[in-house]
Amino acid sequence: MYLTRQLRLLPKASIGRSIATSSTHYTTTTGAAPAAEHIEVPNRIERSPTDILKALASTVGRDHTAPHYKYHDDPFLIPMSNMAKRTYAMSKEAGRKAAKWIKEEHHELFLHQEAQPAIEKFAPSMVYTEESEVDESSLGQLIEQGELKDAVLVYNLMEQKGIALSSELKQRLLELVCFHNNQDPLPEEYIEERWFLENNRRRERHGKTWKDGDLAEKLYSEIEPKTPKTYASLIRGMAKYLQCERAYALLQEAGEKQIQLDTNTFNSIIQIISFLKDNAEQRWQLCTELLQQMSEQKLRPNLGTLNAILQCISTFGNFKLARTSALKVLPEFKQLGVNPSLGTYYYLLIIFCRERGPVSHVIVDILNEIAGREFRVEHPKDTYFFATAMDVCRNHLNDKSLAKKVNELLHTGNNYDLIGDSFKESIYYRNYLALLCQTESIEDFMLTYDLLVPNIYIPEPGIMEEVLRTIEINAAVEHVPRIWSDMVVFDHTHRESLLLYVLRIMVDNRPNADTPAQSQLPEQCAKVALDMYNKIEESVRRIKKVSFTGQMLGDILTLLVRGDNYEKASEVFSHIDKNQHRIPGTPAESALQEYVEASVKEKAPSQALAALQYAVENNMESSVLAKLIHDGFTLNETHLAKLKSLVGESFLEK
Amino acid sequence: MNFLKKLAPQMALAESQLHKSAALHTSAVCCRVQSGRYRITTKRNRPLTYEMANPPHFIGHRKSWNSWNTSTLKDSQRPSQTAIEDLFIRKFITGTWHALVCSEIIIKRQHNTIRVASIIRQGISPRKMYFLIGYTEELLSYWMQCPVTLELQTVADKKDVVFKYI
Repeated sequence: MYLTRQLRLLPKASIGRSIATSSTHYTTTTGAAPAAEHIEVPNRIERSPTDILKALASTVGRDHTAPHYKYHDDPFLIPMSNMAKRTYAMSKEAGRKAAKWIKEEHHELFLHQEAQPAIEKFAPSMVYTEESEVDESSLGQLIEQGELKDAVLVYNLMEQKGIALSSELKQRLLELVCFHNNQDPLPEEYIEERWFLENNRRRERHGKTWKDGDLAEKLYSEIEPKTPKTYASLIRGMAKYLQCERAYALLQEAGEKQIQLDTNTFNSIIQIISFLKDNAEQRWQLCTELLQQMSEQKLRPNLGTLNAILQCISTFGNFKLARTSALKVLPEFKQLGVNPSLGTYYYLLIIFCRERGPVSHVIVDILNEIAGREFRVEHPKDTYFFATAMDVCRNHLNDKSLAKKVNELLHTGNNYDLIGDSFKESIYYRNYLALLCQTESIEDFMLTYDLLVPNIYIPEPGIMEEVLRTIEINAAVEHVPRIWSDMVVFDHTHRESLLLYVLRIMVDNRPNADTPAQSQLPEQCAKVALDMYNKIEESVRRIKKVSFTGQMLGDILTLLVRGDNYEKASEVFSHIDKNQHRIPGTPAESALQEYVEASVKEKAPSQALAALQYAVENNMESSVLAKLIHDGFTLNETHLAKLKSLVGESFLEK
Repeated sequence: MNFLKKLAPQMALAESQLHKSAALHTSAVCCRVQSGRYRITTKRNRPLTYEMANPPHFIGHRKSWNSWNTSTLKDSQRPSQTAIEDLFIRKFITGTWHALVCSEIIIKRQHNTIRVASIIRQGISPRKMYFLIGYTEELLSYWMQCPVTLELQTVADKKDVVFKYI
């Protein structure tokens, strides 16, 4: 089944070829085409060492029925909530870090060489101390490897020992320091940490992080004469870490000294225009000025320029200006032959589809333009596209077919690599599921739900509520047991609003026991209700506890009665009866009524009378109950006396 | 490796004698009789897993090899290193997963990767298990200088893997 589905992913040519050859076979055997066949040997195609691996990888896709392959395929080790997904992946990585620490700490034990040629990553890294013998080549090598901390240490050592550095090496060190702002970056091999990082980093985004007067500026002042590269690296470093004023001042200084800068340096300044100027008009003016300078210096703008301009435009408060200037920029870049990346489209979406702006259908045109195309990452903002596009589909246009198109694009080729990180992925699916459950029929929606949950996406409580709302609107009570079991697994059972919702759906949509499809339902609903009852009782011991309300207990009571579980129902009722001072609110009258009816059926007069007593004590309508009891039972003296004492003599004479 | 050091002088002696008299040693092969077999206890309470319950001559019939590699084929490389490395992996894993491993450790080598399979008791939380998985994989791959993958299965209780008591 899975293989046949994959068949269409295989290159079409190969399938076509096999069909073609088989058809020639057919014709030759019948003798219809005796003409001499001319075989053309195709030219050899150069393959890289990993091509066969890529070809193999293209035959397998993401398996929806299994958890992601970073988790162990064992029931005990499969994560079942968002929290668990994060914790397990991070724990595994913590283990890898611990191993690395051991390797570095006991590096003398890891000096053996098994692999030929030796693999550097498996060997402990060089340790540089104050006593190390250092020279230019070792510094060059460290810069090559991007080992910032060691490179700075070696540089300082060389300073102390008075070893002169060539200005070329200084320039390379400056570039490294500027790129990382003299802070060790997160090592590349820790992919999980990167995948889950964005959740935390969101808050500390804005504001300057550039280290003033630090190593970078010292290196800059040491390099004489200053080359364009020197200026470029410092400007870009400052712009990246939002030391905006000084970056711009440096750019102007370079301009005055007639220093030829490069395109990417200008891009970095255009990106931070919003920090330099306050209102839209000034920003746009500065932007055009910078572009003028670029054209004077004969610099060819690239994709980075386009995205930087659009980023600048996206910060305009003035909607009209933003719109017109974006529309002016796009054709110009088209003329220049700059192909937009997903990041470009992301900026267009945030320029055109604003919360308070008019409704814009720009996404339709974008999707028509890029449908079926495969993308590679070209710009840092490329990973923002899918989450934003889905957000626009849901909140701006509320259009199901567009959302499906976006989803199709995401699953084209390797486009899924551009989903970004766990945070953006969950935003994407959150919007997708919420949109589908508002617009699709419940059956179609459940198909998608089954596909995505729980291995690809686990709904947050808010989305669960949306799903429940859909079920309620469609009166699709048959899905409730399944959703409830999901809620238990995802640990949503301590949310009172969700619990009430589930109960309300089951109580309001009384299943029709005559139809065969629903004959199991009352029993299943009773099971869900009982499960919930037990869960809430358990939760008393937990920190996040849910307390019973009369409403909730009444619903549980009703469901148990309907599921023919009278024994448990009377237990629940006695809980209500005993704790009536502690439980806020009372059960619905219909709940009591159904309970009394069931008592009549079960021939349990004392339970029925207890229900009546409860109703009377809580000032609820009791005459219906009394009538039920009186008609249903042949009561003995004691019971009759009790009935009289509760509702009075007059009632019986009617 | 201590036992090899102890044996070295004796072997040197035996070898020199061999050259002198050129005699053959013809006593019964001890390993075929004893290794891989378990003695029955008086109380019949020694637990055996399926793997332990089948003596070595059933390898390839009722059970399979514990180490899968091609180092002992004709003209292949590193047979002794492979054996020693496997021993190291087994000791490392039983020590790292202390009192958790309840089966033999199966080591399979394919191309440049080593896959290590085993059954683990659910004695610690999944979180800690993932930590140990990451740690073991990474450290072993530093040691063997090739990718190492763990393929674990878990059981709730040690008794789940007991095949019979003898």
